[in-house]
Amino acid sequence: MAALKMVQPPVSCSSSGSDCGPLVPVPKIGFVKLPSFSMGLNGSNYARLSLVQATEESNVAMTNGRAAVVSGENPPQMVTNGKAGNIVWHRSSVGKVHRQELLQQKGCVIWITGLSGSGKSTLACALCQALYSRGKLTYILDGDNVRHGLNRDLTFKAEDRAENIRRIGEVAKLFVDAGVICIASVISPYRRDRDACRALLPEGDFIEVFMDVPIEICEARDPKGLYKLARAGKIKGFTGVDDPYEPPLNCELSLPPKGNSCASPSEMAETVMSYLEEKGYLQA
Amino acid sequence: MVLLKAIRPAICCSSSVFDGGHLIPVDKVSFVKFPLPASWLSMRLNSGNNAKLSLIQATEESSMPITNDHAAAISGENLHQIAANGKATNIVWHKSPIGKLNRQELLQQKGCVIWITGLSGSGKSTVACALCHALHSRGKLAYILDGDNVRHGLNRDLSFKAEDRAENIRRIGEVAKLFADAGIICIASVISPYRKDRDACRALLPEGDFIEVFLNVPLHICEARDPKGLYKLARAGKIKGFTGIDDPYEPPLHCELELPQKGNICASPCEMAETMISYLEEKGYLQA
Repeated sequence: MAALKMVQPPVSCSSSGSDCGPLVPVPKIGFVKLPSFSMGLNGSNYARLSLVQATEESNVAMTNGRAAVVSGENPPQMVTNGKAGNIVWHRSSVGKVHRQELLQQKGCVIWITGLSGSGKSTLACALCQALYSRGKLTYILDGDNVRHGLNRDLTFKAEDRAENIRRIGEVAKLFVDAGVICIASVISPYRRDRDACRALLPEGDFIEVFMDVPIEICEARDPKGLYKLARAGKIKGFTGVDDPYEPPLNCELSLPPKGNSCASPSEMAETVMSYLEEKGYLQA
Repeated sequence: MVLLKAIRPAICCSSSVFDGGHLIPVDKVSFVKFPLPASWLSMRLNSGNNAKLSLIQATEESSMPITNDHAAAISGENLHQIAANGKATNIVWHKSPIGKLNRQELLQQKGCVIWITGLSGSGKSTVACALCHALHSRGKLAYILDGDNVRHGLNRDLSFKAEDRAENIRRIGEVAKLFADAGIICIASVISPYRKDRDACRALLPEGDFIEVFLNVPLHICEARDPKGLYKLARAGKIKGFTGIDDPYEPPLHCELELPQKGNICASPCEMAETMISYLEEKGYLQA
């Protein structure tokens, strides 16, 4: 049985603390409840029980060829395909609720989807501006920006495009946990990929905004010259031309609103703002 | 030549805007400078001046003939010029009018990455939590990227083969960079045993924004703690390639902070967190 040393308040988040304190024997996989602490911030009481979950580490028999090499990088139990099995979360003492209180907002993902040229990036920028002017912290994840860095190893093959969306979804989830209003602006043409991102987040925190602009209008804009190239056969598998765009079936918002098909980006941003306000995301 | 319509203030970030305004003809790949309207300058946020020129870069799109097998299928997902190996080459940034400086003004802090490295059991997660708490109590926004937490989500497709371990660190570095850009003090708590991988993450960030903290705790102390029972398993041969036992840990040669400090080797996590706070304060990260 592994011994766990109690850590000094208010640090109470890891099983690897070795401050002075009483010894609390725990099983290797178990929970240790440490005394709560209070943090003065905006007059609220943040007393929380900090659960410490000992990280599950397994002894993986390295006698068969299939088990991956286990390093000290927090190895989890291995399944035979070498992927991590039962990894356990480290719980930090400062959580999402605290951060939201600090920021006076709730984290969420605004997932803007639509054809190329439908105005996703433009709306994203307008929304970012509107939120900033209200003192809210946002961050835009743009398909192109992310492909510069995190996803620079990905090509445009079908499986890499799905992986591109998956990673954007996972990063957005981290931002939401940080309390940030994260705006993802990606064509994301397949329902399955978008729904998979939705499933990563708590109910309500994934706000799908469909830029419902007819292809004729997108093509007339053709801000990047892509439709022209696609029609000339220079690009294959271009969404809207010879690759499908699957519109959302149950998105939270569809823009521009019916009856205001000439809404400007600012006006559309205000529509999103009203939604966020109504749902309580613009306050802690 | 692609026509770019000038957009109404305060939106000036995309070439695909169609608000009312005058037409500004631009080359397909070019910069258009938009002056910031006075309304932006008067935006009241902690009395900082957030006036910025917003550069708009039209996204470079190439006509890539798809006649050879090398070129990957290109979709409307922000087409780029494709190199023969199928990777994207001349992708151009979309620049948002709200930038890092704005966010830092809002948060009254500067974004950075605190990269805590050290052996298993050296106390990385503990110190990370202590630091996070200390920052939060000062009204600063911090976020922890922990090796395990990230492997639950973003990196759940990675195994523990050598190349995947390098990829694990690379992705954490890239995400940390995004968080720093968002103005957040991002604390990465990962063994990250190889200098090459840590240095690659350092290279992603502007000078000074990558703060490497080495938890210099001797192996025998880590092993005596053995909070996860890993050293025992490694000694028994049940785990191969375990850092510190039969896989190397390469200590940093030029880290910003080494903890615990000489002369206070029994420092508590809180004390070590305060050392880090002092560093951040001194370097100006706890203000806009």
